[in-house]
Amino acid sequence: MEMKAIYDLLAEHLGAGALGFMDEGIEAHADIDPARIVDAATFLRDDERLLFNQLMCLSGIDWDGYDENGKGKSVAILGYSDEGQPETSDRVAEGDFGVAYHLYSHSLKHKFTLRVRVPRDVAKLPSVTGVWSTAGWHEREAWDMLGIRFEGHPDLRRMLLDEDWEGHPLRKDYQMPAMYGIVPMDGKPLNKNPFSPDEIAKPPVREEQPPAPDDAPTEGE
Amino acid sequence: MMEQKMNKGWASQDHVGEIKSELLELNMGPQHPATHGVLRLLLETDGEIVYKCTPVLGYLHRCAEKIAEGINYKQWVVYSDRFDYLAPMCCNHAYVTAMEKVGQIEVPERAEHIRVVVAELSRIASHLIALATFGLDMGAWTPLLYMFREREVILDLLERISGGRMLYNYMIPGGVRYDIPNDNWEQDVLDFVTMVETKKVPDYNNLLSYNKIFIERLGNVGVLSVEDCFDYGCTGPVLRGSGVKFDCRRDDAYSAYPKFDFEIPVGEGEVGQVGDCWDRYMVRMKEIEQSCRIIRQALEQMPDGPYQTHELKKIIKAPAGAAYSRTESSKGELGHYIIADGGQIAFRHKVRSPSFCNLQVIEKVGVGMMVSDLVAFVGSLDIVLGEIDR
Repeated sequence: MEMKAIYDLLAEHLGAGALGFMDEGIEAHADIDPARIVDAATFLRDDERLLFNQLMCLSGIDWDGYDENGKGKSVAILGYSDEGQPETSDRVAEGDFGVAYHLYSHSLKHKFTLRVRVPRDVAKLPSVTGVWSTAGWHEREAWDMLGIRFEGHPDLRRMLLDEDWEGHPLRKDYQMPAMYGIVPMDGKPLNKNPFSPDEIAKPPVREEQPPAPDDAPTEGE
Repeated sequence: MMEQKMNKGWASQDHVGEIKSELLELNMGPQHPATHGVLRLLLETDGEIVYKCTPVLGYLHRCAEKIAEGINYKQWVVYSDRFDYLAPMCCNHAYVTAMEKVGQIEVPERAEHIRVVVAELSRIASHLIALATFGLDMGAWTPLLYMFREREVILDLLERISGGRMLYNYMIPGGVRYDIPNDNWEQDVLDFVTMVETKKVPDYNNLLSYNKIFIERLGNVGVLSVEDCFDYGCTGPVLRGSGVKFDCRRDDAYSAYPKFDFEIPVGEGEVGQVGDCWDRYMVRMKEIEQSCRIIRQALEQMPDGPYQTHELKKIIKAPAGAAYSRTESSKGELGHYIIADGGQIAFRHKVRSPSFCNLQVIEKVGVGMMVSDLVAFVGSLDIVLGEIDR
């Protein structure tokens, strides 16, 4: 089925939740209201004319600074000075976050692209994990990389980065930290061993403990 | 005695009730030979039975998607090599296909044929490693030596055409970097393909596939239903092992593939149920033969002409727009979603890697398995951590 026909069916189901069908450019896509995404996803999967049983890809997008003429300016880190200090710009990111869903039907062999946009200060939308289980890890990755919160996700933890990482790297205003733990992040080779043998060889400083009284209960009793 | 235990079942409820036991948290990996890289599985086990299996990823994360927002389209090709380092040509092919769709770049026919040949050679090399290491996981050491010997020939052939042994950086948007070398390369490839088809695949089948121990070990183990495959987005040999005839080369008909005649092997449940570990193994074995067929046809029909498009510029600018393009890598559906803003750098570049989606199903299927069967299951998924962690 053509994408336009699929969108017509979806718009009929969603009513005011369907925001439009964009047919310009290389790939057409449908914009819908993020609050209705689970409703739309369930309809797309279960309707007998559509049967989208596979979610091919789920991508989080930071739309900040998007400019169709290629003159967009991201607020991302610009580089490092000679001293290793990160150079940044002062612009504050304000663009929306977006999520794109690419669907495929194995039985009917057609594709569809859904897109939603959420404002930057909200940055959350319902999870589609209940509809396609494969969304689980894709949504975790979008949370990890862009900080988009998926409500109703059973296990929304970081996917690829460590739990104690600060910030979400694929945001356009992400500033790379100067240090991660004891490792400098300036991209230069470490010329100093953080675990130098001198440091390790030093005996640990031990505070004087008062001698334990004889009648103190020993462990295990 | 043994029969009694088997009938009762090690993990049956009354058995647990008699003997007080609690779940043991067990780390499998990240440095474990059976996890095929730096995969860490956090298992909760009771004896040998897995009650919960949580993969922990990210040990090989290189932020390739962030890097794509800082360098231009042509420069990023080299990063696509590092995704699936066992089949870099397939990854090259996936990226340039997506890039050409976004940038609307025409590709000469000869370039498409060369791409198909090298991508299929790479697929054979990747499948050989998958089968060899799978045998190794199951305790069969000898097939590894045989299969690595044949893989070495492929690496030599690809080195002659691209200059690189493991990582090639060979394809560019609009063609390939170098033409076929004029030192009898095509004939050598044909000789190799004939040797694999007539001698090597029967050898492997005798050595490993129809070995009684191997069949007993893998039949009915790790059965993956079609519903689970669709739900978890499994593709490639994993999906075909469950009996679904789906192949992006056929269903999406990209590059020169629609010209060639080949079959899509699927799991048939020859030694057990459809979708068990042995089926996934056998699909890869049969795909090697099909890849040989494709290579022979691509070389025989090789057209003359340029191997790069004439309008190839130093810096490529893609018009504003977005496109998702998928190709069949050796592991499954490798998709690239590129949002272009009219400049020379991608605005957003998301990679959907097949191993990432295939591995996720372990959270469901791994529950209730024996730990040793989990090793077989991970081996039969054929994951590469380079493209999971990206």
